[in-house]
This record gives sequence, structure tokens and C-alpha cells, in this order.
Amino acid sequence: MKVVVFSEALQFFKMASALAQSLTEDTVGVFTQKVNFTRKLYLVDKVDEDGLVDFLSSTNFDLLVTGNVRRDRAIASRVAGRLKVGYVPDVTSIKLEGNKVSATRLAYSGIATAEVESSTPLVITVSSFPGEPKEVEAEVVRVELKEGKVRVLEVKRSSGGLSPATAQIVVGVGRGIGSKENVSYAQELASVLGGAVAGTRPVCAELGWLPEDVQVGLSGLRIRPRLYLALGVSGQPQHIAGIRDSKVVVAVNKDENAPIAENADYFVAGDAVEFCKVFTEKILKLKG
Amino acid sequence: MNIVVGFKVVPDESLIRVSEHKLLLDVPLKLNTYDKNAIEEAVSLKERNGGRAMGITVGAGDRKAIREALAMGLDEVIVVKSNDLDVYGTSMAISENVRGLSPDLIIFGEQTVDSGTTGVPGYVAELLGMPFVSNVRSFSLEGKKFVAERGMVSYSEKVEGELPAVISVGGEINTPRIPSVKQIMESSKKPVKEVNFSLETKVKIKDVKPLVVKRKRVVIKEGDMGKAVDKLIELLRSEGLL
Ligand SMILES: Cc1cc2nc3c(=O)[nH]c(=O)nc-3n(C[C@H](O)[C@H](O)[C@H](O)COP(=O)(O)OP(=O)(O)OC[C@H]3O[C@@H](n4cnc5c(N)ncnc54)[C@H](O)[C@@H]3O)c2cc1C
Repeated sequence: MKVVVFSEALQFFKMASALAQSLTEDTVGVFTQKVNFTRKLYLVDKVDEDGLVDFLSSTNFDLLVTGNVRRDRAIASRVAGRLKVGYVPDVTSIKLEGNKVSATRLAYSGIATAEVESSTPLVITVSSFPGEPKEVEAEVVRVELKEGKVRVLEVKRSSGGLSPATAQIVVGVGRGIGSKENVSYAQELASVLGGAVAGTRPVCAELGWLPEDVQVGLSGLRIRPRLYLALGVSGQPQHIAGIRDSKVVVAVNKDENAPIAENADYFVAGDAVEFCKVFTEKILKLKG
Repeated sequence: MNIVVGFKVVPDESLIRVSEHKLLLDVPLKLNTYDKNAIEEAVSLKERNGGRAMGITVGAGDRKAIREALAMGLDEVIVVKSNDLDVYGTSMAISENVRGLSPDLIIFGEQTVDSGTTGVPGYVAELLGMPFVSNVRSFSLEGKKFVAERGMVSYSEKVEGELPAVISVGGEINTPRIPSVKQIMESSKKPVKEVNFSLETKVKIKDVKPLVVKRKRVVIKEGDMGKAVDKLIELLRSEGLL
């Protein structure tokens, strides 16, 4: 049983490695940095998507496990297509018996899980897996990837502040905050609470009120803070998918029938900006 | 220019409710959210560059949704009737039916709201041996050359390539048009071709369970925001937060 592991992001590479280690001794990593989580490591010189698809397709895996960021998912689906094998994204648990694989994955925009079965060879992406991988001495082989047909002209990093992925308190901003200027009230609240700001997909990716790297949800970050404050967020399933693991959810919304109400521990009916101003002031008073 | 759009008819996810341990899937069907953006992109590219925009859909051949896709400006739709398929099966169904059309560009929505695998666009690209760009949020063409901007969450990238190609798009790329009554009427004259397809899937679904997180659902309703926040602070402190 040969399990090959790939991700563009270290956090997901470790998660995929932990999953691989739970299944077999024969683990092979493909990554851009020298890390010791697999028996063998192909150290690639760049993240050329076409080149990676070529290379991963040639590794003779029984199971390919990638991370779950957009690049990982694009590559995983392409390798599956190149080899005409099964593809299961968003895996949260897995079992192996001989060449039969049973896995749990998210479905219906995150409101359900599906139990699926397949046989190897198979490609999966992992979205959560408990525990850290063990350190193992990796035999390193350097690989020069082929240049692809699609050429990258320019890369722009989203501006990184305190990441909602690791913060204990996250203030989430939805379209209901009203404007880009109003987002500063949420930022102020986050800063007095010692937390991070995050946003819905429209706020981050469409309107540009916040940077894209703080988008929370099915197609963004999945976060697990102790406290999540959803301000002017309607609470569609795709957003809820990213905040399920929050310990306590507070929602502030003008509309008591907004779906976020069903997904909140505490629901405050009212205006998001007014809430920010009042809450910030009261917290500052409490702190003295 | 020959453009093909892959779209899916899906249950409206915002209306799906849970009873006991089951998902209640008997809800109205709709065009998958981001597939509308794919259709819009295809139709506006056709309007600018000439040619044809053809739709292909696998699975539930819901009449109303197909009419809507045609009313938005597709010239024709192929409906592939099949057994329940996985990513492999769906991609095979699509690639076998579009290969003969020699498309210059195939556009998909980046993710469906039901199975949500994001897998079909890239899988189809490989089956057809075409280059692939996912998560496109702006796309421009000059002759056979395209430039696309991709949103990758922690960064964005601008890429360049050549047609023929396959792309997947999200909600950021455009605002889908709402067809006029006239366009809806006329759409009934446009051709809809039904074909059958069946294939044993590689991945089999054994069970689907709702993913329920229990929340307290306490509503804080005070006329005055000051009072509401006082109450909230008290509640959060009793939970050991703040
Ligand atoms: C495949 C797919 C993937 C997606 N992935 C994601 C994802 O990763 N993350 C994500 O967030 N979304 C995602 N979406 C989009 C998602 O379906 C919703 O459209 C989105 O989350 C809605 O964002 P919103 O709550 O900011 O805006 P809206 O839905 O417009 O909601 C605004 C809310 O603000 C309230 N409001 C208005 N004014 C005020 C006020 N003054 N004070 C207080 N409240 C007010 C309104 O009552 C409303 O509830 C995805 C969609 C699809 C189809």
C-alpha cells in the first residue's frame, strides 16, 4: 500500500501525512520544503500546477492524499482524471481493508456528511484529521518539474493580519455591515477583544471589503475559535460550513428570520454597526 | 468560437431541512448557483466574439431549469440521462458527448451546492487532454490567447494560456443576467437533445447523514442596544468567555 501525500500548504501537508501514517509505512511526500513526515520525500523546485499533475500521476500510488486548499483540489481532480481513477474530496475520516477504502466526506454544502466506498487506486483530499504526524527520517529526492502549458504571469498575496484560522475570538463580517468604511467598526471590536476579523465570500472575494485570505466557509477557511461573532451574516449553508467547530456563536442581524439565527447560541436582533460601537465601548470600560 | 458550458440542476440547498436523522431533499430544483455565472460568461463571450454557446447537463433533466439556461442565451442544450454518477462517471458522460463538438472553451461553475466536489471541471479537462484553470474570476481573450485571474484565497494569480481550454468560475466573475419574458418564451423553440448514458461508478455512496451542531438559540431582544449588549456580555462571561 503506497500512499503519496501532497499539499501546497504546510498545515495541510502535515494533516495529509498524519492520515497517510495511520494507513501504511510506505509513505511518500511531494512538497516544496524539506520536511520529515514521510519515508520518502520528492522535493519539488516550484508549484507549477501542470508539472505537479504530470509528476504526481507518475508516482504509482495506491492512494493519493492531498490537502484541501483550492490548488490542492484542482491538482487532485486532474490527477484522478489523468489516471481515470476515483476522486473523493473533503475527507474527514478513512478506513482501509485490503484495497477497499471507506471514507466520510462533507456533502450538500456542508449540511451533511456522506459515507462513501471505493477501491484503490484512489485520489482523496483531506479537510480535517486529528493529531499531528510523527517525525520520520525522509529519504530526499530532488525533482525538477516540467513547465506547464499554462504560465503564471503574476502572484499577489492577500494581506495577512492575525489569521482567523488560529484566533480564539473571530469577528465575522457579512454584507449586512453595509460598506467598506463600516468594516473598521468590526476591526476595532476585534482588536479590543484580541481577536481576528473574517468575512463571508461576498465581503472578501466580491466586494473586497476585507482581504481574501480571511474568507470563511466551504470554499474558504474552516475555523474553530472559542467565540465567533457573525455580524450582518445571513448564514447560508456555505458560510456555516466554515464555523461549525466554533465553541460559541453569536449573531447580530436585523432579520430575526435569517438562517444564522438557527445556527447561533446567542442572537442579537439589531444593527451590526451599532452593535460594534456599543460592544467596543463596553469592553473598553470593563478593561478599565 | 465554440463554447460549451457544463451545468447541473440541483436541489435548492438553502431550503433543505433536517428531520431526525434524515435530510429532507424534497425541495425545488434550481440551476446550480455558480453555473449561472458559467452560462453568463459563455453567453457574453459569444456576444463579443461570435460563435455558439452550447450547454450540457448530466442528471436531473428538469425542464424549467433547462429553459432558464436557454433563456439566458445558450443556443442548445444536451441533456445526458444517466444513473447516479460520481465525479468519474459525470466527467466521462460529459467528455464523450462534447469531444465531437470540438470546443474551443469549456466553462464550468467551480463547485455545486449538492455534491460540491469541485472535481468535474479538472477531471473533464484531463479526459480531453486540455489545459485547465480553476477558480477564474476574470477572463479575457485575444485570438487564441487567454489571460485569467484566479482567486486562491491566500493569494491570487494571473495566468496565460491558449485555447482550447477548460475553466471553472465562481460568483465573482460576473452578474448572471435575468432573462426577459420574451427570452423565456423564445427559449422553448431552442433545441434540447436527450442522450442516454450509463457507467459503473468508482465511488459509491453508502449513506448521507445530516451534520447537526446543537446551538442554544437564545434570542436577545431588547429595545435598546446598550441593554442587549449588557445581557450578551453577562451570558458570555458565564460561559467563561471574555
Ligand atoms: C459553491 C459555493 C461556495 C460558497 N462558499 C462560501 C464561503 O466559503 N463562504 C461564504 O461566506 N459564502 C460562501 N458562498 C456564498 C453563500 O452562499 C452566501 O451567498 C454568502 O455567505 C452570503 O454572504 P453574506 O451573509 O455576507 O451576505 P447576505 O446573504 O447578503 O446577508 C446579509 C445579511 O445581513 C443582514 N443585514 C442587512 N443589514 C443589516 C444591518 N444593518 N445590521 C445587521 N444585519 C444586517 C441581512 O438581514 C442578511 O441576513 C458560497 C456559495 C456557493 C454557491
